[in-house]
Amino acid sequence: MEKKGWDGFEIGAMLRSFEGAVSGIATILPEDRPYSASSSFTASVADWRIQKPLFNKDYCIDCQFCWVYCPDLSIISRDKKMVGIDFDHCKGCGICVQVCPTNPKSLLMFPEQIEEEVALAEWPTKNTSKATTEAKEE
Amino acid sequence: MLEIRWHSRAGQGAVTGAKGLADVVSTTGKHVQAFAFYGSAKRGAAMTAYNRIDDKVILNHEKFMSPDYVLVIDPALVYVADITANEKENTTYIITTHLSTEELIASQPKLAGKKVYTVDCIKISQETIGKAIPNTPMLGALMKVSGMYDMEFFKENMARVLKKLPQKIIDANMIAIQRAYDEVK
Amino acid sequence: MADTFELRDIEVWDGNMAASHALRQAQVDVVAAYPITPSTPIVENYANFKANGYIDGEFVMTESEHGAMSCCIGAAAAGGRVATATSSQGFALMVETLYSASGMRIPIVLNVVNRAIGAPLNVNGDHSDMYMGRDSGWIQIDCYNPQNVYDMNLIAFRVSEDHDVRLPAMVHQDGFMTSHTAQGVKTLSDEVAYNFVGEYKPMNDMLDLDHPVTHGVQTEEDWHFEHKARQQHALMTAVIPKIQAAFDDFEKLTGRKYNIVETYNMDDAEVAVVCMGTSVETAEEVSNELRAQGIKAGVVGIRVFRPFPLEQIAAALKDVKAIAALDRSSPHGTVGALFNELSGALFNTDTKAVMTNYIYGLGGRDLTKAHLVEIYNDLKANADAGKPTTPLQQYIGLRGPKLSFF
Repeated sequence: MEKKGWDGFEIGAMLRSFEGAVSGIATILPEDRPYSASSSFTASVADWRIQKPLFNKDYCIDCQFCWVYCPDLSIISRDKKMVGIDFDHCKGCGICVQVCPTNPKSLLMFPEQIEEEVALAEWPTKNTSKATTEAKEE
Repeated sequence: MLEIRWHSRAGQGAVTGAKGLADVVSTTGKHVQAFAFYGSAKRGAAMTAYNRIDDKVILNHEKFMSPDYVLVIDPALVYVADITANEKENTTYIITTHLSTEELIASQPKLAGKKVYTVDCIKISQETIGKAIPNTPMLGALMKVSGMYDMEFFKENMARVLKKLPQKIIDANMIAIQRAYDEVK
Repeated sequence: MADTFELRDIEVWDGNMAASHALRQAQVDVVAAYPITPSTPIVENYANFKANGYIDGEFVMTESEHGAMSCCIGAAAAGGRVATATSSQGFALMVETLYSASGMRIPIVLNVVNRAIGAPLNVNGDHSDMYMGRDSGWIQIDCYNPQNVYDMNLIAFRVSEDHDVRLPAMVHQDGFMTSHTAQGVKTLSDEVAYNFVGEYKPMNDMLDLDHPVTHGVQTEEDWHFEHKARQQHALMTAVIPKIQAAFDDFEKLTGRKYNIVETYNMDDAEVAVVCMGTSVETAEEVSNELRAQGIKAGVVGIRVFRPFPLEQIAAALKDVKAIAALDRSSPHGTVGALFNELSGALFNTDTKAVMTNYIYGLGGRDLTKAHLVEIYNDLKANADAGKPTTPLQQYIGLRGPKLSFF
């Protein structure tokens, strides 16, 4: 974005979320909203990531934990169904993986460069040794 | 310019008295000032309040004053406060005391040879209002000594100034004002 | 709907009561306050009006002055007419948020009842808090008596909320000397006063849900300078004309004439004192008395302290031979602020006037007419000699050996 001079922007320490007027914004999907150029929605932080979460819908129970806990609103969920990850805004923190309650997890961290098909192919199976897992976590 | 200094204890109503007087005087088209010296003083501490009255706009905001009238509404302040500070030759003193004017001057010799009037505003307020709030009776005494306003005009306006109080208290104040007017010597 | 308060044409009000009624008549939406002497009665009276049905707006008791101003900023950013009051140490605690308000271009009217800043702790009036606010980006308007306080509050809302201005405004009065001194105040009816202030016109308000905004954003080296420059531009170019326009309209409405810089006996003055607050009027009275003795004494009163009216001050002082800058705040390590401001206004002009500085009235110390006579006599000597006959900075009304510097 080109930076304007002192007389070239609106007064105050103020930024607009959208270009022009909006109404019923809660009913419009994020990708369809007229976010302004100064909104963080239009800025990608994808290059911040060195690891990325990947989603395996075979194990997902749509509990929405990942959607609730994601600090960057990067879990895409529609009608309370997990759809995928917004890789423009995900910084790769891994919180979604931590909170995922399924066994095996439906979200796992992988190196940024790995192909999705490769990752899904090497997805772990159900871990039956619960005690071992807990001991490891402690 | 007429200047008045009140000697009082915090809580006895000198500020209310000074503001009430200013309010009444203001209705006659004169310009007024009413203020006080404050500190972080406790209730009961000696304090002073002031009035200025003039036909012209009052520009002077100095606290220093050579008063035309000194009104003392607590009897003990005659002995512990500097009530004659910055006096003029013709400064008139109206002092709350149970003593006669002669007895008072005998007990406080620095008042000798001055224009001194006495009235027992403490007793009057106790007997009329029911507690020792000597500010309004002192105004009655001032009206008598100064001849500033007709008594009916003054009482009518003071009743307006006090209008937020219960009617019984307003009535008692009117009696107190009239008694001080009649009793000041 | 709030009840109408029936007022007499002239009410005997102290400065605090005058401010309370002006806030009530402006129909403020939110007053958030943490009371402090000597400004306490402003919000106390206001709360009383609210409790008795004369006010529709909200009254919020906060946990500190920092909280009070923060609440005001939030309410004003949301789109309400907002005001509060403070003094001294409370003002000092507000300072951080004062910069937020002005930088965010949020209109707020803050009544500052000027009081000393401790230590030593002192509740009485001087200009230390007013001076502390002078770089905060607020408009600062000064009052000399309760009538001014009433009038300037109504004017401050109009100027502060103007979309070309959008800067918060302080209305200053001297602690006790104005705030607790009752004098006759000519009133306006509730309707006339409100119509003068005008209906609040929101701008970028957070409650405009069709245009969502984020207020209080962070900028770093890439944007901060431009924002501050924009703020300074508004303060320097928009404010004085808007205040003048409000003064003009106010004069048409009430007959009371105010000026950006107040001058008294200045037409042919040889010597002039420049000061603020109640001292202006006391000096006016002294100048009248000295004129009867043949000294051509004049008075310049600062009505608008920020933005500082450099050109108007220079014009007011261009023909005098000696000037005294009277500062009611300890300068702590330099000359008085007013002396510096006046020097800035007069440097690069044709004046050859001798200027000296007096520090007076700290912690409520009385400025007597006798003090002012002394000052004018010094000025007369300076004018006759064409150079300073006294030290540059003198303390006046101080006990002990005479104190002066430079």
